[in-house]
Amino acid sequence: MRIWNRIRSWLDATLRRSRVESEMDAELRFHIEAYAEDLVRRGVVHQEAMRRARIEFGGIERAKEECRDARGVTFLETLFQDLRFGLRMLRKSPGFTAVAIITLALGIGANTAIFTVVNGVLLRPMPFPEAHRLFLVSLAARVGPLGWAPGVSDRDYLAFRDQDQTFERIASFTIGTTANMTGAGDPAQIPVAYVTTEFFPVLRTNPGMGRGFLAGEGEPGKDNVVVLSNELWKERFSADSEVLGKTIRLDGVSRTVIGVMPPGFAFPDAKVWIPLAIRIDEHNSFTRPVVGRLKPGVAPQQAQAELETFSENLPLGPGENKRDRMPQIIPLKDLLVANIRPSLLVFAGAVAFVLLIACANVANLFLARAAGRGQEMAVRSSLGAARWRLVRQLLVESTLVSLAGGAAGILLAFWGVRGLTALAPAGKVPRMEMIRIDAWVLAFTFGLSVITGIVFGLAPALQTTRNHARKALSKAGRSVITGHERIRSALTISEIALSLVLLTGAGLMLESFLRLRAVNPGFWPRSVMTMTVDLPDSTYRGARQMQAFHTRTLEELSRLPGVLVAGAVDWIPLGGELTMGTFQVEGGRRPRGFMVDKPCISPGYFKAMGIQLLLGREFTERDNATAPGVVVVSQSVARTLWPDADPVGKRISMEDEPKPEDWLTVVGVVEDVKQKGLAKNSDPAIYQPYLQVLSPGFLSHMTFVVRTASRPESVATGMRTVLRDVDKNQPISIASMDSLIATTTAETRFQARLLATFALIALALTMVGIYGVLAYSVAQRTQEIGVRMALGAQSGDVLWMLLRKALVLISAGILMGGAGALALTRLLTKFLFEVKATDLPTFSAVVVFLALSALAACYLPARRAMRVDPMVALRYE
Amino acid sequence: MDKQMDLLQGTLDMLILKAVSLGPLHGYGVLLRIQQISKDRLEIQQGSLYPALYRLEHQGWIASEWGESENKRRAKYYHLTAAGKRRLQTESQKWNRMAELIEGILGTTAEEV
Repeated sequence: MRIWNRIRSWLDATLRRSRVESEMDAELRFHIEAYAEDLVRRGVVHQEAMRRARIEFGGIERAKEECRDARGVTFLETLFQDLRFGLRMLRKSPGFTAVAIITLALGIGANTAIFTVVNGVLLRPMPFPEAHRLFLVSLAARVGPLGWAPGVSDRDYLAFRDQDQTFERIASFTIGTTANMTGAGDPAQIPVAYVTTEFFPVLRTNPGMGRGFLAGEGEPGKDNVVVLSNELWKERFSADSEVLGKTIRLDGVSRTVIGVMPPGFAFPDAKVWIPLAIRIDEHNSFTRPVVGRLKPGVAPQQAQAELETFSENLPLGPGENKRDRMPQIIPLKDLLVANIRPSLLVFAGAVAFVLLIACANVANLFLARAAGRGQEMAVRSSLGAARWRLVRQLLVESTLVSLAGGAAGILLAFWGVRGLTALAPAGKVPRMEMIRIDAWVLAFTFGLSVITGIVFGLAPALQTTRNHARKALSKAGRSVITGHERIRSALTISEIALSLVLLTGAGLMLESFLRLRAVNPGFWPRSVMTMTVDLPDSTYRGARQMQAFHTRTLEELSRLPGVLVAGAVDWIPLGGELTMGTFQVEGGRRPRGFMVDKPCISPGYFKAMGIQLLLGREFTERDNATAPGVVVVSQSVARTLWPDADPVGKRISMEDEPKPEDWLTVVGVVEDVKQKGLAKNSDPAIYQPYLQVLSPGFLSHMTFVVRTASRPESVATGMRTVLRDVDKNQPISIASMDSLIATTTAETRFQARLLATFALIALALTMVGIYGVLAYSVAQRTQEIGVRMALGAQSGDVLWMLLRKALVLISAGILMGGAGALALTRLLTKFLFEVKATDLPTFSAVVVFLALSALAACYLPARRAMRVDPMVALRYE
Repeated sequence: MDKQMDLLQGTLDMLILKAVSLGPLHGYGVLLRIQQISKDRLEIQQGSLYPALYRLEHQGWIASEWGESENKRRAKYYHLTAAGKRRLQTESQKWNRMAELIEGILGTTAEEV
């Protein structure tokens, strides 16, 4: 009951505020008048009675305030008051408000944009029911040749599946597989996934139409079924409801469509799912990712323990080492995001710095304004306002500004996210489709804005309301708040320090990118166009057919106008693929562990790619199947095998136990080429002419390269026509060598560009900050400067006085920032190429750049100081 | 200083409840009645009376309504609620017990120890 009473009185007071107020007025007036009447009755004159009644009553306003407090209305009530008052104050100084809001919008917007990406890529759950129970099982070493790839070998998979107790089910699947699809529109290379039949049940996602795989599908003879993604079904079958039972051809094999997945399902980045049966093969053992759904109530740690025990008891395979195995139970999402997490976290750190700098700037603005409001605060506090009340008022104002900044920041983030996703290196950002501004992002921005408001508002608020009342009042308007100076300097120093850290990070990334771009790949990529084909072995049933395809394509390509020379190679340099293998040396020994790349090429390839021939000759048309076997070796092979002799004429063999006809004669030596990537070492290579290669495995995937007379893109149409003429079922994949190289450096370029953007925003904010502090200082010291000049100081002296202050700030900031950068750039190490995280030239260049920018920011205040007119300045006294 | 205030405040609440229990009163009337009962030995800060009244009303011990004063003016009259009556009882008992206790302690002579 009493609770209700309180609520009613509180509601009354809050909702019917004006009535309650007027009643309170009336009640108090009645009291005073009644008392005065009593006094009159006792013989006091009316006016005197009123005066005495009022005096004896005491502070009426204070009593009213206490009455309001008593009814518990004050908090919300005064908050509304503070809000109204705050808005009025901000409207009164629109320039100040706008600068503060824009500054914060930059900081909060950058953070919102990055958080949107982090939220989408790292935080949002996988789109499967009870996704928190899905884990990857991996026994692979953490670091493989191509980054991190979790997986379990087929043999271990079968063994683990039989004895596992912690998972409901596990399934194995492939990632990064593609297939040439024909029979539904233009031929195209599409991403596919081979999955065991448990795959969909583990993810608890069934086809929206048709059915998933039955147990046993995937065994030979029963594996000619596929499930399509919703997107592919719409794209290629125009959402045909009769699609079930139709056939598509993948790499030349006909398969029947049995199901279509619901929209949005694309795990693991596939458009078609093909059933897979795990069988143990004598010769090969595949390692594939494995996903499992934990039983309800089973913790990942239990599964981890089980897997560790399993791994301990597992017999070692031939050539296998215990250290090659690393039992791990990992959240499923990591399969997609583990490689991108570090760089996203670096970006998040960078934008946090930008926001801190923005905060420091706005805090400085507020401090400058606070100086002008010292009197207001002093008056209010001597009228009885408690200090916390004033602090709250100021915090409400700063939070209003930061909320406005946050709202503007969301707009900025909206564009920012679009820009980010557009600029992001294609295929490098997983879960891109999950990136959007959702409720979490909005909540994040709101929370961040409120925190921001308090962070930058607190110091000015505390400073302004320090107990200066008497001083401020007695000095009548002249600001006396000297403590500000120290805080402002500290803020500016931190801004410079934070900027320096960001600039150093960006500088290192940029340096890294430049060095990467300057790497000599061993060939001359300008004016080279490439076209890649994958010949399905269902159509091209052997090496002879494939060679015929290549020969004809090469002939047609070299006849194209604008083509200087045409060549072909199975795996193109910098394409990320290589086929490493062993070989035998006649009359010698291959050094232990020395393996080579074995490209299979056409005559004309070296010329077309611009790989320099150092000794001997290139392949010619005459190096065919009937001619004696020949090879060309790369320089490092020649140096390693025959350091003191002429390699031309020496013989090697690709067979382990060569028969006499297996020996191949070295006819030439070429430069080493970067095969795996610009950041990787060159690989020793032994080239073979494609007409002498008998294994279809080396012939089915082929990239044709042509050197062009003018722009490489000018021959694209011609190349397309050639391919269609030779085989109309081949999907067309054409790109210039330059653009292929650009994709390999895209990640570094993106990181460098993004960090540079953040660093430049930070620098701009810092320059504004330095400008603000000095300009304020000049304004404060106008009189002092005037006096000095009147006493004979030259404008040079004034300049020096100001510069000294600036230099102290800048050097302190650089010292602190340098220390911070040394500590923090270490986090960048794994993104850097040929640049140490403590690279001295980069550090020095950044320091000089920052110092010059900071000094540039001093220019305007310095000029103003030097132009101070002593007469005008002194007249203010 | 603060402690004294607290004590006074608690006492003032009780006195107001007692004053109002004798019949509805407006704020000024409460003041007069307390002075009257205490035979002017108790001075009450007029300014602190109203916050106390508002607090008691907020807590539901007393309720108010607008009425007409002796000299035909609109005035806000406070009366005791049922909860207020109980409150006054328990407060009085507590006060009496406390007063007895203190009196007993203060009245102790050396022989009695």
